[in-house]
Amino acid sequence: MKLKKRFWILCLSIGLLLFVAACSDNDNNNSSPDVGTDGEIAGDLEIQYFVGGYGDSWWKEVIADFKEAYPDVNVIEYAGPNVNEEMRSRWVSNDPPDVVYIDGAGSSETQMVEDGQLMDLTDWLSEIELEGGDKLADSFIVKPANYDGKIYSLPLVFDTWGTWYDKALFDANGYTVPTNFDEFMDSMAEIKAGEGIDPFVTTGQHPYYFLRGMLYPAFAAAGGEELLADVITGKEGAWSSDQVLEIMKRVEKMVDEGMFDSGLGALNHTQSQMNFLLHQNAFIPVGFWLPNEMKNDIPDGFEFGFIPSPMNAADEKYAIVPDLRPLAIAQEADNPDAAKAFVEFVFTREYASSFSEHTGAIMNLNGVDLTQNENVPGYLTEANAMINDPDVVQIYEKPHPMSADLETPIGNALISLMLGNMTAEEFVEEAEKAAAEYRAGLN
Amino acid sequence: MVQSKKQKYTFLAFCLLPTFILFAIFTLYPLFSGLYFSFFDWSGSSSNKEFIGFANYIKLFNDVIIPKTIIHDYFLVVTKIIGIMILAIFFAVALTQLKIKEAPFYRVVFFFPNIMSVVVIGILWTFIYNPSLGLVNSGLEFLGLEKWAKPWLGDEKWALPSLVLPAVWAGIGLFMLMLMGGIANITKSYYEAAKIDGASEWQQFWKITLPLVWPQIKVSILYIVITTLNGSFILVQVMTGGGPNNATHVMGSYLYQQAFKQYNFGYGATIGVMILVLSLITVLFLQFLMRREKVEY
Repeated sequence: MKLKKRFWILCLSIGLLLFVAACSDNDNNNSSPDVGTDGEIAGDLEIQYFVGGYGDSWWKEVIADFKEAYPDVNVIEYAGPNVNEEMRSRWVSNDPPDVVYIDGAGSSETQMVEDGQLMDLTDWLSEIELEGGDKLADSFIVKPANYDGKIYSLPLVFDTWGTWYDKALFDANGYTVPTNFDEFMDSMAEIKAGEGIDPFVTTGQHPYYFLRGMLYPAFAAAGGEELLADVITGKEGAWSSDQVLEIMKRVEKMVDEGMFDSGLGALNHTQSQMNFLLHQNAFIPVGFWLPNEMKNDIPDGFEFGFIPSPMNAADEKYAIVPDLRPLAIAQEADNPDAAKAFVEFVFTREYASSFSEHTGAIMNLNGVDLTQNENVPGYLTEANAMINDPDVVQIYEKPHPMSADLETPIGNALISLMLGNMTAEEFVEEAEKAAAEYRAGLN
Repeated sequence: MVQSKKQKYTFLAFCLLPTFILFAIFTLYPLFSGLYFSFFDWSGSSSNKEFIGFANYIKLFNDVIIPKTIIHDYFLVVTKIIGIMILAIFFAVALTQLKIKEAPFYRVVFFFPNIMSVVVIGILWTFIYNPSLGLVNSGLEFLGLEKWAKPWLGDEKWALPSLVLPAVWAGIGLFMLMLMGGIANITKSYYEAAKIDGASEWQQFWKITLPLVWPQIKVSILYIVITTLNGSFILVQVMTGGGPNNATHVMGSYLYQQAFKQYNFGYGATIGVMILVLSLITVLFLQFLMRREKVEY
């Protein structure tokens, strides 16, 4: 009898515990902004950063240094590949971390700005200086995203999509590295004949790889930043313009001549990258993170080569559309002083150099000399030199990333085009329709 | 010992109350909050929400992808019911009636997919369908049928039918066991009597086995319908992500895409309400369709 009673009490208490756990609020985050007695920066500082292809070693180094410089600040890190999902409830309940690095699945800078979650940094930015006395605002390679004249985030990582190839394979067989679309087609035809493979692969499950990696540069080369901006914001008539149609015709040509991997519709991004490393394909559009992401699977003798995606016409230069991963401060940050101190601390040329060592990508500060740093991978120094040579490459900036509400339907039509189930004309029509729906949804 | 009324009610409350509390927290509350959120324009990642009345429902009726997802869902429901029930009945009869020596071994083999996570099954089958390395295409090549080889999950026409196979494969075991239980309960004398009267095995199956396991078949079909409408999303998400070009989106995966990828949480909730309504209608309709008097001999 006694035992039975105990059992019931146990059951009940478990039930109660669950109930309490489900209902309790996070009420331990109400500590007021902590400024030390003499105005020193102190208190808890919560940092959320996504860990993906770049790894987290650079973050660990920077945060450790920051702790040394600000011993009164207690840094709390929220990090990992799923951190955006894990922290979502904190953002929803208006109790966000102080500093957020916006990157990876489940995060969207545009969405955060639309929801008013990020602090307006416009005035503060103009006060910050780098170690040499340069103004930070003038030292970015690419300027911060601009939302009606306001700045809500500072671009930390300068990444760019481009086209990768295996340098060793190209050198051994004398294949040409293309500099425009015509050469690209010739080169792919050579490879198709020489290697007996479908030369081009991308992930069909995430068609935005092709959109951002191949089409953005093509749009920019053909119509400059204006066309690029119109296409990204879904301006009326942009997608059905002649310039866009001509570029989509180039994609159709690639389809017609069998340049796309016939199985790409089924591939996720890792599978497509694996195909590329195994020489089942010769070209793939990915960003700078590719070598770091695939570092455990690189076959012996494979040598990464990077070019801006050669979708440009013969009389146009290579085009690059940088992809930026920003650092931002939450509007509702509990400790904005420490957050600002941290952001200021991160943006130095010294950390920019170590960023390239750790991640194989570039931090968004100019005047960083990578050639002297032997820990930086070769493809990066070369790409860096190429990007900085205005005779070869033109850099075009996009206003902000494309909204998922527009990118999804366009990506869907794009995959149909790449599979050969749609013509360029039909694609353009679908895209224009998607843009119209997107514009209607904004109001 | 005679229980007093009070004792009886305390005992009942003890049994029911915890369940009811948990049910209220984990089922009723999400259900109603889903309904509530369907009237808002909300990204799902901030505290800003705007009440927009029925706008999400109007959007739902004008969304050209929604009818596709419904068709895909019911395609999976129908093909799964046919595939799973035929195979499960066949295996159940074979393992109970045909006196196979290795029956226990087969029982374990057929049940095995049921103890695997659906996610694992999805990943496994993605490899089987892989265009260049997969079992299916290599098998076709081996048989000299290269013409039939295709990127199954990457083909707008074939991706959805390709999802049926893993779904059926994963489902057979459980229903086979249920039906075996039903068959084991049938008194052997019916079969003996039928044999004496000269009934063939086939006639025995149609006249004795099938009518007597009808309750189990009915439950199985309902169960397949409900789990497919609510759960086919996992397989879709893992294997194709709804693509290519929405060719495999089911209602659940489209909900996920809208709510968590496109940041239209309110609209996602509206799709959730639609799934609830459609599931209810389907189940009621099936109850009506399959009402058949219990057979007893």
